[in-house]
Amino acid sequence: MPIPTLAEKLEWLKPAKVSSHEEHCAKTLRQGDYEIGVQVTNDILDEAMEIFIRSSRSYFGVSGDSMVAIFTAGGDLINAACGTYLHAIIQPIVIKFILKYYSQNPGIHAGDIWYTNDALYGGIHNPDQVALMPVFHKGKLLAWTTAALHTTETGAIEPGGMPVSAKSRFEEGLNLPPIKIGENYQLRNDFLEFYSVYGLRAPAMFISDLRARCTTADRVRMRLLELVEKRGEEYLVGLLRKMLETAESGARQKIKSLPEGKFRAVLFNDAIGWTPALVRACYLTLTKKGEKLIFDFEGTSPENPSSYNVHSQAVVGHIANFMYEYVFHDLPICSSTFASIDFIFPPNIILNPDKSAATSCCVYIGMQCRNATHNSFAKMAFSCAGLWQQVTAAPGSQHTAQICAGLSQWKLAVSDVLSFSLNTQGQGGRAANDGMDSYGFAWCAFGRAPDSEQVESELPLTVMLSQHWKDSCGHGHHRGGSGAVQQWMIHKVSDMVSMCMGNGSKVPLGQPLFGGYASSTIPGISVRKPGLLDEMKKADSPLTMDLLDMLQKNTIQGDWKYELVARTPKVYQEGDLLFGFSGGGPGYGDPLERDAESVMEDLKKSIISDWTAENIYKIAYEPERRKIDVEKTKQQRLEERNARLARGVSFDRFHQEWNKKTPPKEALQFYGTWPDAKATGPVFRP
Amino acid sequence: MASDEQSRIRVTEYLDLDVQQERWLCNRCGHEIGPARENYKKGCLLYDRDPREIHPPLVLAEFNFSPDPLWVRIVEIYCPGCGTQIETEYLPPGHPITWDIEIDLDSLKERLRKGELFIRAQRLEVAL
Repeated sequence: MPIPTLAEKLEWLKPAKVSSHEEHCAKTLRQGDYEIGVQVTNDILDEAMEIFIRSSRSYFGVSGDSMVAIFTAGGDLINAACGTYLHAIIQPIVIKFILKYYSQNPGIHAGDIWYTNDALYGGIHNPDQVALMPVFHKGKLLAWTTAALHTTETGAIEPGGMPVSAKSRFEEGLNLPPIKIGENYQLRNDFLEFYSVYGLRAPAMFISDLRARCTTADRVRMRLLELVEKRGEEYLVGLLRKMLETAESGARQKIKSLPEGKFRAVLFNDAIGWTPALVRACYLTLTKKGEKLIFDFEGTSPENPSSYNVHSQAVVGHIANFMYEYVFHDLPICSSTFASIDFIFPPNIILNPDKSAATSCCVYIGMQCRNATHNSFAKMAFSCAGLWQQVTAAPGSQHTAQICAGLSQWKLAVSDVLSFSLNTQGQGGRAANDGMDSYGFAWCAFGRAPDSEQVESELPLTVMLSQHWKDSCGHGHHRGGSGAVQQWMIHKVSDMVSMCMGNGSKVPLGQPLFGGYASSTIPGISVRKPGLLDEMKKADSPLTMDLLDMLQKNTIQGDWKYELVARTPKVYQEGDLLFGFSGGGPGYGDPLERDAESVMEDLKKSIISDWTAENIYKIAYEPERRKIDVEKTKQQRLEERNARLARGVSFDRFHQEWNKKTPPKEALQFYGTWPDAKATGPVFRP
Repeated sequence: MASDEQSRIRVTEYLDLDVQQERWLCNRCGHEIGPARENYKKGCLLYDRDPREIHPPLVLAEFNFSPDPLWVRIVEIYCPGCGTQIETEYLPPGHPITWDIEIDLDSLKERLRKGELFIRAQRLEVAL
């Protein structure tokens, strides 16, 4: 039972060979059966998703950063409710592994509950855990159901499931290959006891989420069996087969409409763990040839001894997030849509590391693959009548992933993420519109910002401010959506442990599109002993709950610290402050083309500053009334165009100076050779 | 493929491709940027921008909401005809400029010739 190879995993992404029985069943569908059947699966999954959100304990679960899905008996995904598309394409790997290696021992039976969180076996990273149930009818395997959710605790060397200090897999806590944790529709008590005492900091949260997954997968199983009782086995098997075929056909049509060629994008990260370090996180060459799309990652930086590596199938998961949000949005969520998409991952790059690699913070590298896909796809699809309106810059993907750990005000062990600053990121600027403000989570389009009062009632915090963060968006003809900021005060406990995952403090993460600008970088900010509560009690306090006032007018005292956003665990005292930022989306198009009235509207909504209106958009207006001087604006924009023509130089002349430059040597310790990012030696891991 | 209208497609917001003439053109002013079998950026004007000029620091600190100009630069790419900002790239200083669009012109012409694709309103459409 070897750990599956990359070749095996990539092969399992493709639909299994169709059996003659499946073909026969698909042919028996009558007029309307397919359309009604698809809707029935949607209804089953939507109901289950609601159950999942209501049953979950962790804030990712409460916020809906999850997926519920139905698969064929052979393990191909045929529909899902999201949440996130991150798990959509890659979960067949887990089921096909179970079918190949565990059919005889321990065997696959009705009432089984399977479970896994190990990225070596097909997942994203070990906080992402999935429960799987086979659907048997009269002894015959008809389908599988799954429920996947990110739980923010794995018993790693740091709280929160994504340790920024982990150097190898052995420091990341619980890694479970696919394992049977329940039989005869019952969770095994010995496994529950194992999880409770394994070393998890918040076992009650972990067990609650585990039960939520199982409850959800089982509800889908029960509903599918009700469908079988009503319509017969052949109907379900035929429906699932036809959904696979229809989705594959739809995807092929879309791909066929694209022009042939190669489309490239390059993206960088500025942190490896909690160390500032520049890496070429994704060098993507996207080739369209015939009915095929080929993603080739040659040129990406080598793997490194931190948790900022990503196993290759998790890269596919990140690309699935893009494809389903923008390209396949009108198709059933079927793994067959990727049948004509191939992947090339050179060995030992950061996107294909050794099996001993730590990968728990893989999402920060994987996201750059999604962001690269935005740009490459935009340049491939803008010429297509059916796809150009889907062209969108990457989402805001820098954020403060702040972990709150210790004992809550209720003396309960907590180890959870403050997901507001994840689920309020800005969408990238779009071909036909601005990006949406605080549209969601770059990893989960449908994730919701949690209710602040609920957060305050469960965690030892008070939320002092929640607002859009001025100038967080990338500027452009169509600007990116605004990010947001929350300020958290440790409250109702004497102390609390906190750490933070993330990147994007020195280098903006997503590239803009077609002449726009990227979004702002974010620092990690903490304030010790600020005396904020005392200040709020004063009648004549100059304090306003406005971010820029706080940063620039020193309205809050205390020991302010500005750091890299990724930080190791530290103890904070009651009254201390932490800031959480979600990134704005990068901009689309030349800012000089932005409609002046839209700029005034942005000012009115406090999305941008007067400085930006005047210096980036070149708008002339009366600040008090925001009345635009049309002629002067026209003149200023013309002057800026002429200034560009004066300062811009030819490609060759540009390179005479440009080729002499390099980043500082200390920034390149994990980059590989400069500039082509080749490995410089083996990676040593503890 | 008689007129410009029938051979010209929009490849980006600001970049048109004349398929028959195999030329890149500015969508806004019509300036002929260069041969379409090469990187269009070779026919543009380039400028190395300090990112602090676009994303000004908000505080006096090493980490200050502004990109580090020693780690990343904004390469602004302008149309030489009208000064439209066609593209921007955020790159570490000295990093190679990306050849981002390499359309297989022979394939495109063949698909248009066979009627598999056609051009309407400067977009490619699939023949039914």
